[in-house]
Amino acid sequence: MKFSLVRQALILFALAFLPGIGQAIYFRDKVSWQSPVPASEMVTVAQARAWGGNAIWVDARPDVEFEREHVPGAVLLNEDRWNEMLPQFLTTWSPEKRVVVYCSSQSCNASREVARRLRDEAQLKNVFVLQGGWEEWLEKK
Amino acid sequence: MRTRILAFTLSIVICAAAHAELKWEQTTVELHPAATDKQAVGHFKYQNVGTKSVRFKSVHTSCGCTAAQTQKDEVPPGEKGEITATFKIGDRTGTQVKTVTVDTDDPVNATTVLTLKAVIPQELELNPTFVFWRQGDAATPKTIAIRAGKDFSVKHLKVTSSSPDFETKVEQTGNGQFKIDVQPHDTSRNMAATLTIQPEGSPKTFYALARVTNAPAIQ
Repeated sequence: MKFSLVRQALILFALAFLPGIGQAIYFRDKVSWQSPVPASEMVTVAQARAWGGNAIWVDARPDVEFEREHVPGAVLLNEDRWNEMLPQFLTTWSPEKRVVVYCSSQSCNASREVARRLRDEAQLKNVFVLQGGWEEWLEKK
Repeated sequence: MRTRILAFTLSIVICAAAHAELKWEQTTVELHPAATDKQAVGHFKYQNVGTKSVRFKSVHTSCGCTAAQTQKDEVPPGEKGEITATFKIGDRTGTQVKTVTVDTDDPVNATTVLTLKAVIPQELELNPTFVFWRQGDAATPKTIAIRAGKDFSVKHLKVTSSSPDFETKVEQTGNGQFKIDVQPHDTSRNMAATLTIQPEGSPKTFYALARVTNAPAIQ
């Protein structure tokens, strides 16, 4: 009786598991936890804070969110007004400083896009994406 | 054992008979806005093909640049509707993929992810958009290469510098291809200039920045 119950449980478990495996294989390129940013281009709040004055914080969120609150000293640079804001950011930039870009949370993509454009289009080095974004920064405040 | 199988089958049949189901016409929409468009709007149409009403619990987007709207909070059986996703293009370029996550009280398909793909045409590609010199560097010219996008014909570029400290020289290097040589008069002090690049006959303006930073030159 006990053996039969275990067997039934295992069968049910396998049946529930199969579609999950199928979906993971079918959507392997769309799995949300696969970050398009290499680990070497990500930075934690603690690491970025340790850089102190050698880091420039870039807020990639929309204007209203920046105006509400932002990392002290952060520069606003989002893709809504990229052409207008990029020159403002570049006049504060310095080659020996690291750039830390953040957006709202772990799941937002704006910081990745802004960091990519700074690397590819402006050809800046030492550009990092903040892990967990603004939410993480607030938590570790 | 037979009773258990019967009960299990019955429960499946009952659940299937009284179900709620939103059937989406498409969960991915691809848009091709014009170069001057400010926004791109995607329509995701659905119908409740079930026998119970479906209630939207939440609709959220992957980006602050996208707003999604439902026409109603509850969809009765047989009724049609749509979710509108408005993507603010701003100064974004290239292919943009944004998602709208729809949560409903449908126990079978509680969450649906709608994908909005916008292919934004790029009239000019600048490489790089920023050139800089360190203080004390030789004041030699640096080049910005410019290439017209595949659907655009650019015959002439007008380049103006916001500061007389930098000189610019434009040269056509091929069909729809140009180079801008940027040169500071000297690199003894911190200075910057915004370069305004205007393709002939286009309403759109492009920008690049030239700067002498106050970081010392690398010896």
